Amino acid sequence: MKILLIEDNRETADYIFHGLQEKGHVASVSQDGREGLFRAASESWDMLIVDRLLPSMDGLALVHTLRGGGVHTPVLFLTALGGIDDRVAGLNAGGDDYLVKPFAFAELIARVDALGRRPHQTAVETVLRVADLEMDLLARSVRRAGRTIELQPREFRLLEYLMRHAEQLVTRTMLLENVWDFHFDPRTNIVESHISRLRSKLNKSGIELIHTIRGSGYSIRAPA
Amino acid sequence: MRLPRLFRTTSFRLTLLYAGLFSLSVLFLFGAVYWSTVGLMSRQIDETVRNELIELQTAAPGGGLAELQQVVKEYAARSPSFFYLLQGADGRVLAGNLPSLAPELGLRKLSWRSEPPPAGLGNAAKGIRGYGMKVADGAYLFVGLSSNELRRMQTALDRAFLWSLAVTLVLALCGGAAMSLGPLRRVEAISRASRDIMGGDLGRRIALRGSGDEFDRLASSLNAMLNRIQALMNGLQQVSSDVAHDLRTPLTLLRQRLELARRRGTNVETLHAAFDHSIRDIDAILDTFGAILRIAQIESGSRKAKFTRIDLSELLEGLVETYQPVAEEKNQRLAGAIAPELSIEGDRELLTQLFANLIENAINHAPPGISIGVGSSQNARGLEAVISDSGPGIPSAYRQKVFQRFYRLETSRTSPGNGLGLSLAAAVAELHEAAISLSDNHPGLRVTVVFPAARVSPDADVSRFNGEPADAAHRGAARLERSGP
Repeated sequence: MKILLIEDNRETADYIFHGLQEKGHVASVSQDGREGLFRAASESWDMLIVDRLLPSMDGLALVHTLRGGGVHTPVLFLTALGGIDDRVAGLNAGGDDYLVKPFAFAELIARVDALGRRPHQTAVETVLRVADLEMDLLARSVRRAGRTIELQPREFRLLEYLMRHAEQLVTRTMLLENVWDFHFDPRTNIVESHISRLRSKLNKSGIELIHTIRGSGYSIRAPA
Repeated sequence: MRLPRLFRTTSFRLTLLYAGLFSLSVLFLFGAVYWSTVGLMSRQIDETVRNELIELQTAAPGGGLAELQQVVKEYAARSPSFFYLLQGADGRVLAGNLPSLAPELGLRKLSWRSEPPPAGLGNAAKGIRGYGMKVADGAYLFVGLSSNELRRMQTALDRAFLWSLAVTLVLALCGGAAMSLGPLRRVEAISRASRDIMGGDLGRRIALRGSGDEFDRLASSLNAMLNRIQALMNGLQQVSSDVAHDLRTPLTLLRQRLELARRRGTNVETLHAAFDHSIRDIDAILDTFGAILRIAQIESGSRKAKFTRIDLSELLEGLVETYQPVAEEKNQRLAGAIAPELSIEGDRELLTQLFANLIENAINHAPPGISIGVGSSQNARGLEAVISDSGPGIPSAYRQKVFQRFYRLETSRTSPGNGLGLSLAAAVAELHEAAISLSDNHPGLRVTVVFPAARVSPDADVSRFNGEPADAAHRGAARLERSGP
């Protein structure tokens, strides 16, 4: 993917830039708000990573202006630690996701992959499939190898999120935010406990589909 | 120094105003008395004199000067209380018992105060009040009566007036000063206390008299304000020193670990392990920072503007569902007893974190095998949410302390957490004007969060809960309001 990173802190920018390159993305850095806005609007990008606090123009205003000008490139906001209002403000301004600094690199890559995948999913899907696992979004039912699996609403949402991001890394934080709407770090193994419940229900009729990526998160994929 | 300050007080200024008003009313009172005594007397004199003049003229029907002269002579001899004068156009006295006068017409007052009165008239003639008129041949006729009585009355009244005025003023000023001194002393006490506090005696408070008057009320408001300020300042001091203290330990450990790895880490695996461990430590430190910043932001109250109506029942049900598998893994039982459709005005994200923190505290600090309850109900106090467990509980002496930042019970040093969970819960509760309290669950801990009735939405249909009758009437009113246009 071709990604524009608008971040004024040189060290952070380098850290993200090299990380993105390692993962095979084509990244470019802009260290100033106005310049970033110009480049975001005048070139074609697959994604923008925008810091909230920028010299000459703040990240919120930048994205707001971009959206006003009809640019709908996915935007990932980077926000400072502890800013509880930043997320809502960022999403209201037209951001698609946000990440609190400091973050683990795996987290950033997972977000970038999830965001980059979005446009392909705009077509209305009613059935999600991973190997022999099938989720009917209209009937709200899950079947594996033809056998119906009863899931609680939360388990259904968890599996749905995983299946919508099949083959991708889904981090614990992404699950907390999107499945539970938790925007803080819980001190218990909520995700782990629910995943293990879900696994035991799914695995009654087949082999393991939800894989743990050590230290990063989970990924649902068909066995190789 | 004391007197000028007294003059500057509001009550003294009011006293002066009152003194002025009193003097004015004394003036009016005396005016009325004057008019009805001295005024009446002089009017009576004038009337008598006028009648005498008319009588004189009727007694001399021809109107000739000679006839009039005769009549005046007769009258002067007959009625000694009157004073008569008839003088010719040349000023010569023709008849009567008064010396020659300038021929002034109308009402005139004669007095011989400095010089002795004309011979033969006695002291009665010291003051004479009468009328002068032109008669035939350019002659001048004057008839008068003694005004000594009138003058004495006038003098007496004047003196009484001046005395009353003086006494009124003195009393008003003294009373005003006395009235001002009391409040002045109270205000002085408040200023003195404020100066002491500014001077650094931060524990100093304004003394109350216990009478419950406006000064006591002012003083208790000020004291409450000072307590709040002091609590905030203490909190700030506490936080800075706690942050320093709480972060020193993990930072020291981190440094030691990195140094050790540098010295001994001969293979990549050991180094990676040390790195991973260090990153975890740093994350924990950052987490603490994040929590401190979050608490500070919550305490600033800015989130209040974003309050919306929240279905608390649904929120709690969701949390129970979320934490049930977690509790089960620890072999604990988590159950909810949540009344449906309880809603409040609030911040969903923060309330979620508040109750998540409380449930996680129960899960983390209670041993396996216990049960945890999440309950909510509506009662007269408002909307009540209770998180209870049958674990070891918290001794009553520590129940207040656990809300302090970084405070951790010795027994929970080893369980996960940074000692900020309950502080955050308290900050969120405070933001929602809710009261959070810990009590004994016999056995275990019971955390109660009460959202006051005012915050509770009237939309909640709570008739199926055993609220009190008064409460039911109130709800009926709320429903009626809603059915309006």
